[in-house]
Amino acid sequence: MTDATTANGSTPDGSIPDGRTPPDPVVGNQTRGPSLFRRYGEQLALPVAWLLIVVFFSIQEPDLFPTSRNLGSLLGTQTALFIVALAALLPAMAGDLDLSLGWAGAFGAMVMAVLNTQHDWGIVPAALVALLIGAACGFFNGFVVVKLKTEPFIMTLGTGAVFQGFVLWVSDSNTVTNVARSLSTWTLQTKVWVIPIQFFYALAIMLVIWWVAEHTPLGVRWLFVGKSRDVARLSGINTDRIRWGAFTAAGALAAFGAVVFVGNSGSMSPVSFSPFLLPAYAAVFLGATTIHPGRFNPIGTGIAVLFLATGVQGLRIMGADDFTQFLFYGGTLVVAVAGSRYLRGK
Amino acid sequence: MDVALQLTNISKQFGATRALDGVDLTVRHGEVHALLGENGSGKSTLIKVLAGVHEPEPGGRLLIGGDPAPLPMPTGAYHRYGLSFVHQDLGLARPLTVLENLVGSASRDEFSRLHVNWRREAAAARTMLQGYGVDIDPRTIVNELPPVGQALIAIARAAEELREHRERTGAATSVMVLDEPTVFLPEEELEFLFGLIRQVVAQGSSVIFISHDLAAVRTIADSVTVLRDGRVVAQSSMDAVTDDEIVEYIVGPIKSRELHEHGGSFHVERPVDRTASPVLTVRGLSGDRLDHLDLDLVPGEIVGLAGLLGSGAEEVPYLLFGAQSASAGTATVGGRKVDVARQQPAAAVQMGMSFIPADRNRDGIAREIEIDRNMLALVLRRFTQGGRLRNRRVRRTADERAIDFDLRPRRTDLPIGTLSGGNAQKVVLAKWLETEPTVLLLHEPTQGVDVAARAQIYRKIIDAADARSMAVVWVSSDFEELATTCDRIVVMNNGQETSQMLGAEITPEGITARVFAGQHAVDDAATTAGASA
Repeated sequence: MTDATTANGSTPDGSIPDGRTPPDPVVGNQTRGPSLFRRYGEQLALPVAWLLIVVFFSIQEPDLFPTSRNLGSLLGTQTALFIVALAALLPAMAGDLDLSLGWAGAFGAMVMAVLNTQHDWGIVPAALVALLIGAACGFFNGFVVVKLKTEPFIMTLGTGAVFQGFVLWVSDSNTVTNVARSLSTWTLQTKVWVIPIQFFYALAIMLVIWWVAEHTPLGVRWLFVGKSRDVARLSGINTDRIRWGAFTAAGALAAFGAVVFVGNSGSMSPVSFSPFLLPAYAAVFLGATTIHPGRFNPIGTGIAVLFLATGVQGLRIMGADDFTQFLFYGGTLVVAVAGSRYLRGK
Repeated sequence: MDVALQLTNISKQFGATRALDGVDLTVRHGEVHALLGENGSGKSTLIKVLAGVHEPEPGGRLLIGGDPAPLPMPTGAYHRYGLSFVHQDLGLARPLTVLENLVGSASRDEFSRLHVNWRREAAAARTMLQGYGVDIDPRTIVNELPPVGQALIAIARAAEELREHRERTGAATSVMVLDEPTVFLPEEELEFLFGLIRQVVAQGSSVIFISHDLAAVRTIADSVTVLRDGRVVAQSSMDAVTDDEIVEYIVGPIKSRELHEHGGSFHVERPVDRTASPVLTVRGLSGDRLDHLDLDLVPGEIVGLAGLLGSGAEEVPYLLFGAQSASAGTATVGGRKVDVARQQPAAAVQMGMSFIPADRNRDGIAREIEIDRNMLALVLRRFTQGGRLRNRRVRRTADERAIDFDLRPRRTDLPIGTLSGGNAQKVVLAKWLETEPTVLLLHEPTQGVDVAARAQIYRKIIDAADARSMAVVWVSSDFEELATTCDRIVVMNNGQETSQMLGAEITPEGITARVFAGQHAVDDAATTAGASA
């Protein structure tokens, strides 16, 4: 429409006034933020909910839940989920989605297990191969989505199926058992107080992501790519490189999560790792309702993982059936995201 | 019944602007009535009142076929009164077939059935299109049609709606509004469109034809209404006016404008050394509409590209910056030459180019991200020590810029989406000036910007051009803006440069006259503009 200027009023008169004399009439009530409840209600909802369920389970199961043993078990068993959630976070922060992460990680870990048990590889080089495979899967995702300019949703669903095929192929569809015990000393057996050391790996990764996002120029570019890709591109930011990098790092991180997972059980089944994808995304989206609402952020993701882990662990202690954890994962995700939307008044 | 549509005493206020001021419009039965006027003259507002998008002030009246129709028009109700609109974007779902577009159009919803017999619909559509002399297979995807084919489909669909309306209600009158349907069509294909319009009229509809293209108006219209500053300044049959008179009505009697209150010129003379070697050289730049444009800018020079939508002027900054792909051309900035067909935004920034696009909300600002980060995203290296970004220094610097650019409110920690259009645009400008560009490319930089902020933005750009010898390519449909800020105007028509204006020659009226007159009447326009100088 060519009359776009109509509503904006007439153009200024011919003289060019000095830069700052005329007051800007259009300030309105923009300085006023949302109400306190709206501002902090959303931000605090998840941490408060977490405290509430901790209190609830502690009252219900005073002998089993609020114990150091349970704390170690809770933090230890959910480390793989924590790492996969951080993996899913990386493309999410760049505005992408990677649904292949479960299978990319499983592929890496399965190759590690096969190399270690059937080809006499040491566990350390085998684990490094796992990370490389994960990174390669992520790199391939980046190529397909970023370079070939396709929709990440459907394409990573496709590449995930391909990775699944590889998992079944290298394992002959069997569970690989008797992976070197030394792996579990690196992950589960070594403890700081009661907490398995693997939890601190996840914590460290979370803090690195936080540091990069908040305290480096790369983090700011990452934010622009995720929030307004056109603006980022037209600002001269190499959006492709950031997205591609996020996919690659996510693949490697997913493989790391899978390696930790193998360390906990000493075996790798072809289908046991990929179900982490849903709770991982639940944590990523839940995390976006806290700390910095509206943004995918690592600390929020960490809190969300703890929340989910606590809930599932508590239900388990109370003797709930396995299916309840899915109700819990899925239910909280739906409630949290819908509630967050509501609080934002959209 | 002679009068098909009559609007009486329509007024509309937007803030401080009187967009429409007691406008009367009478369209007779079976005529093509042209509605003309500059950008901002009120044409679109008037049409939107008719369509029920805008609510006019009380006191207006609308008669259709002699019967009163409600004002304000309820949303979506215009169908029921025998009105139909074809906008410039044609309102077609382009990935779908012609047939799907015809079956799925809004007015058909009233008759929605449980089952669509596609074969019968296809046959009916083919017959219908042929009835309008449109030889297009209804199963074609709209996107695969040339622009003229798409326009024909949109018009035929509207004509069919009107015909059905007349049959259903027994009304003798219907009115089709064509809002700039010719902008994207090549000259030689316009005849198809005119043929169809004549047929629509012969069937018993009237047509309101909005266009900037005087030649097209001359060919197809029977009578004309000209709006200026929200008022009707002429209403006449086409036979009774010449093209020159129409241009004069559109831009207004030059002497009566506020021109003289400012010492006879909008233009402020700036010292630009035209003998200096160019800092930006463009050769053979071609895009969708643009056809081999050459351009040279010396340091500190501000050059305005003036043209109507579709002239190709609006493509220039996007092509140079690599935001849209060019089909050919080279650009040299400060001695570095690139093939524009392979230009990428990242490389353009490296070369020292900055670009402020028209669609601020989509391309200019990341609404959810804080003002300081929007402002300094391109120069973060400056705030990084040992790999660590000093966020506090970013904020402090942004706060200083906020004062310098008179940002209101002076809070740079809020998301930029909370700012008004003018303030957000100041942030965008600050962001690009921070990179100390050699060349600044602008497309409608003050769209949606209030008057005060506009003046500040002009001042900042001109200061930067003076202080750092930055060259500016300024594309705007607001010719007063161009006349206020530019040292030189390049007038464009049909993808090509048609003339240039320098110094005191540059007046809004002069630009308008040359732009509207187009290629054929450049000489006449030059005389008009010369008289004003």
